[in-house]
Amino acid sequence: MKLWQKIYLFSILPFLLLFHLASVLIIERNHSKLLQQEIEATLRENRSIRSAIEAIVPFLSVYRSPDYERTVWTNIGNEFAAKSGDRAAYLRMEEEPDRTAFSNVDFPLPTIWTKLQAPGKDEIRYGLSDVGDRTILFTASSVEVNRKKIRIGYMKDVTPVYAERVEQYRFFVQVDIAACLLYLVLMMIISKALTKPIERMARTAKVIAQGEFSRRVELRSKDEIGHLADHFNRMVAVVEDKINELEILNLQKQRFIHDFTHELKTPLTSIIGFSSFLRVTKYQEEAFADGLNVIYAEAKRLESLALKMMDLIFIREENLVMKRENLKAVLDEAEPVLAMKAEERRIRLAIDGGDCWMPMDTDLMKVLIFNLVDNAIKASSEQGLVAIRVHSEGGRRILEVADRGMGIALEHLDSIFEPFYVSDKARTRQYNGAGLGLSICQSVARIHKGTIEVVSEVNVGTTVKVVFEVAERDEVKV
Amino acid sequence: MNELLNFLPRRFRSFFYIRSVQRDNITGRERGISLNRKILIVEDDANISKIIKLNLNLVHFDTVEAYGGHEALEAIRGHKFDLILLDVMIPGIDGFELMESIRPLGIPVIFLTAKNSVVDKVRGLKAGAEDYIVKPFEALELLARIETVLRRFGREETLLEFKDLQVFLDRREARVRGRPVDLTVKEFELLVALLKNKNIALSREQLLDKVWGIAFYGETRTVDMHIKSLRKKLDLYEHIKTVYKIGYRLED
Repeated sequence: MKLWQKIYLFSILPFLLLFHLASVLIIERNHSKLLQQEIEATLRENRSIRSAIEAIVPFLSVYRSPDYERTVWTNIGNEFAAKSGDRAAYLRMEEEPDRTAFSNVDFPLPTIWTKLQAPGKDEIRYGLSDVGDRTILFTASSVEVNRKKIRIGYMKDVTPVYAERVEQYRFFVQVDIAACLLYLVLMMIISKALTKPIERMARTAKVIAQGEFSRRVELRSKDEIGHLADHFNRMVAVVEDKINELEILNLQKQRFIHDFTHELKTPLTSIIGFSSFLRVTKYQEEAFADGLNVIYAEAKRLESLALKMMDLIFIREENLVMKRENLKAVLDEAEPVLAMKAEERRIRLAIDGGDCWMPMDTDLMKVLIFNLVDNAIKASSEQGLVAIRVHSEGGRRILEVADRGMGIALEHLDSIFEPFYVSDKARTRQYNGAGLGLSICQSVARIHKGTIEVVSEVNVGTTVKVVFEVAERDEVKV
Repeated sequence: MNELLNFLPRRFRSFFYIRSVQRDNITGRERGISLNRKILIVEDDANISKIIKLNLNLVHFDTVEAYGGHEALEAIRGHKFDLILLDVMIPGIDGFELMESIRPLGIPVIFLTAKNSVVDKVRGLKAGAEDYIVKPFEALELLARIETVLRRFGREETLLEFKDLQVFLDRREARVRGRPVDLTVKEFELLVALLKNKNIALSREQLLDKVWGIAFYGETRTVDMHIKSLRKKLDLYEHIKTVYKIGYRLED
């Protein structure tokens, strides 16, 4: 069963029960109140007749004439009959033991009348009884006249009270049908309206489950469903982020594999091509020398690629023991090799800075310095300047390599640390890079609790800043 | 000229291209210029480009090298090519984009790619390439593919010439100084294989594969026998060289 149907059913059943119960109660209460009023009025009437008779009793005891008494009774009865008119009231006076003194009762007396016998002095009894299709209220009291007990019976037709009840029930049934129909319709609308947001959420959830993670539930209500929708949206956002992250990771991995194959296959194509050419063609001195040179150079390139890949893998896995060393000393040690590299392209190296003690692995640190300076040299034009600087700033050790070369365009800055990333999509190897250098640098920096910041402007230059955080303990020793 | 035909539906266009190419061939023949078929090599790696060029020149294709997209476009405008070898990842305009400019010319294209992924192959073929070849590749494979594509485009040579030897492929006839020479079917095919891979040494296995098919694998003596009779019938003792540890090479 659907939720709206449940809400519908569960709201209708109690409503029907309570509505009917309350209606019946009200009608019944009304009826009994009316009846009570009628009874009280009748009793009052009876009492007033009795007091009228009691007022005459002294006279009657003076005369002591049964004829006179009879006349009095008839007079009182007629007077009453005239007064009551058509109010459907009856009077009956009986003399003890069983003589009717007056009666305008026009129906056979039911058994209840005999049961209301002989009430004591100042006592009134009453009872209800159906006579034919009428309901009559009987009241009985007595008065003593000349040592004779006179029973005064006053009766009233209360059929209208019962008829009223029937009338009310009939009316109630009409109202009931109308109200119930109205309620059914209203509740259907309400329960559907209440569950609609849930259904909408369910639909959206289904769409999201099919892979459209950018979809959101659009609900602006502030109730629990609204909260649920908010949380749901937040959950989907988290899932979407995670999926995007995974997709990016996957893309990077694909790019890594793709670039790696490219880097591998390009030299291989040359090596295979030239070696097979030399193998199957007639010896020609020039082609022979050219071919061997190409094969040698390309094999060297493969070797360097393999070494760099190994660096990258080992740096990630190795468990290193760090020793406190001076960064400046490491830099000075590396200077001759760097200078030689720079000399090839007639680039000037400017090294400066003070002592920078920090825990490190000197071999890895050299790899970092070589790669950064190598990049700077490649980026510089001939006769350019590459400035290397080391300095301390409180608990931080900073290595800075700055060039005035071609710079890195803004759109590439985010990706330069990815393995094999080169800003030139066609990967022209004008400067012989596979795009592994910065990845290696970052791995080294990470091991030394360092971060790499790159500031670059196209055709102005690039400054790469490696910032190492040194723990307080080490600080004190300095 | 061919660009002017762009208003025509593509299938009608090619009809006109072929005609114009044929006319060129005739004028070329009349003027006595080199009739070698011309191939454009679009490859950014200089070494790879060079080795392709060397191999193609060996079997007498004329070649033009382009190292980038823009250079390639210029070359296409300046020359008439029978085929283009196109690397996908080149600087300037990339290979797929370049295809847009090549397609209206009706020149067959073979993609050179380092990627061995199905998606890339499909993309290349969809862009209008006739074939693709994955790096690293062997020269023989490249030549075979080039031949296949050229044959499909009706630019196959019907006449192979070597010194005073003429081989008519359509008639399956070989003539020395105009005089027909009687060759068996296998001898003829062996001769064609050697001629088509002129100056390249072919191993006995490769020759078996080309002439007899895989089924004969291992029976290299058959090759030696046929080579012997070819040398004798065509007087090619000088030119069909036995290459140490490899096989045979037809040298001019």
